Amino acid sequence: MAKIPELKSQYIWLVVLLVYISTGAFTLNAPFQMSQATVDAYNYVESLKPGSICVLGGGNVFAFDLESSAGQIAAIKQIARKGLRLVEFPTGVEGIMFHRYCIDAARVDEKYGGPWKYGRDYVLLPYVPGGTIAVVAFLTDVHALISTDLFGTPIKQVPLMNEMHSYKDIALWFMPHWAAETYSPYIIGERGVPLLFFAQASNYVTAAVYMNIYPDKMWVTNGFLGGAQYEKLVGSPGLGQSAVDGYTILSGAFLGFVLLGNMTLLSDVRRKEKVEVKQ
Amino acid sequence: MISTDPWVWISAFLTICSFSLLYGDNPLFRIAEYTFTSTVVANSVVTSIPTLRDRFMPLFNGTKPWFIIPLALGIMSLFVVWRKYAWVASFPYALFLGVNTGISMRGAVGTTIIGNIRAVMQEGAAILIGSPTDQLGYVVRIVFTVSGMIYLFFTLFLKGSLAKPMGYVRTFGKYAWLVFMAIMIGNGVQQYSGLATSAMNRLIRTWLGF
Repeated sequence: MAKIPELKSQYIWLVVLLVYISTGAFTLNAPFQMSQATVDAYNYVESLKPGSICVLGGGNVFAFDLESSAGQIAAIKQIARKGLRLVEFPTGVEGIMFHRYCIDAARVDEKYGGPWKYGRDYVLLPYVPGGTIAVVAFLTDVHALISTDLFGTPIKQVPLMNEMHSYKDIALWFMPHWAAETYSPYIIGERGVPLLFFAQASNYVTAAVYMNIYPDKMWVTNGFLGGAQYEKLVGSPGLGQSAVDGYTILSGAFLGFVLLGNMTLLSDVRRKEKVEVKQ
Repeated sequence: MISTDPWVWISAFLTICSFSLLYGDNPLFRIAEYTFTSTVVANSVVTSIPTLRDRFMPLFNGTKPWFIIPLALGIMSLFVVWRKYAWVASFPYALFLGVNTGISMRGAVGTTIIGNIRAVMQEGAAILIGSPTDQLGYVVRIVFTVSGMIYLFFTLFLKGSLAKPMGYVRTFGKYAWLVFMAIMIGNGVQQYSGLATSAMNRLIRTWLGF
């Protein structure tokens, strides 16, 4: 009987690498199930009146949080297309990079041929430390908390910020990464501002419960899968779809590895038994 | 077309260095690791400059002179690195922690305790409404919630006639917790797999121009 090759970890990594390369290079459009929460969130954004102000912030985000950005970039494309406006309020040190990355990747600024103009349609605010305290202060009085935008321009000279004073002016709050559990009591519970949370997959399990606490006010998407769902609704497949392609192929590959590993183990046991019988 | 942007090349090099750990620890991985760590620290320092400018502009232009108080508290917090006068830093830290705890407690009571109880009760009332799939979902959620809570509340061994049935419920509650943890781990694996895909995606599309 032909010997089954030993399943070394390097072989597994090699297969995983090849899958990552292939899904990075080619979009396979692997199918996935659509979540009702993602559809509801998309429909809520569609129902907002043009000119409404959305806020992106609060998440303890890192610079290129690709997982949350999949859905966030698609959402920015949607709100720009709908004529909504966006105030970016980073509460994590690397949030500034993340927010700029999302705007650039969505290609909504007029320098990329998009409909948005800085100051009129979107504003980048500087990093504000303090976590919960900062978010509560922002919701209470934006102008008391922040004096300038990210580039040092006094916010009174930024047209969009003249229409943005407190939570009463916010139509929807976008939150990437994690921390929606921490901030949702103040954003939704106390002030009634709806929140769309592009959660990391590992945070989804704990955050999803909050959709039951705030029905029709909070929507949570699940990592890259949720991002792929939102991308599909917006009609712009990107990072989320690539990741779902990777999941699909890797699920099959891992099943193959499990079978191969078990076959190797069983054939080894059988061979050892034969050797023992001969001895 | 391959990118001509040197930053994209540096990013690609560091990404490949990071992935080289899959083969084993090596100097290239260490270069990427230390570059990342030092960049994060440096970025934090640079980011604080516009933040300071934003925070204290009203103080320096005279519109909000009382901002001298947070400035003083901020300077006091720096004393934490000076062992002899570290006690000075305890005042701003105590203030920060006190305000944060007060706000957090308010949120915790409103959402985590009352909100969750209300959500579970509403779901309990919805068991007989809607499609069979929804009904099953509500039943599972309530059974898991109640048994999971019983597992945590009754950690001591019970004696008497209730000991045996409660033991069954506790065991079921333990499995409910294990299911929850398994889903969390599964989602965590999904997260890292997706992050690797997206890193490769960036490498191939941004760097190699596919």
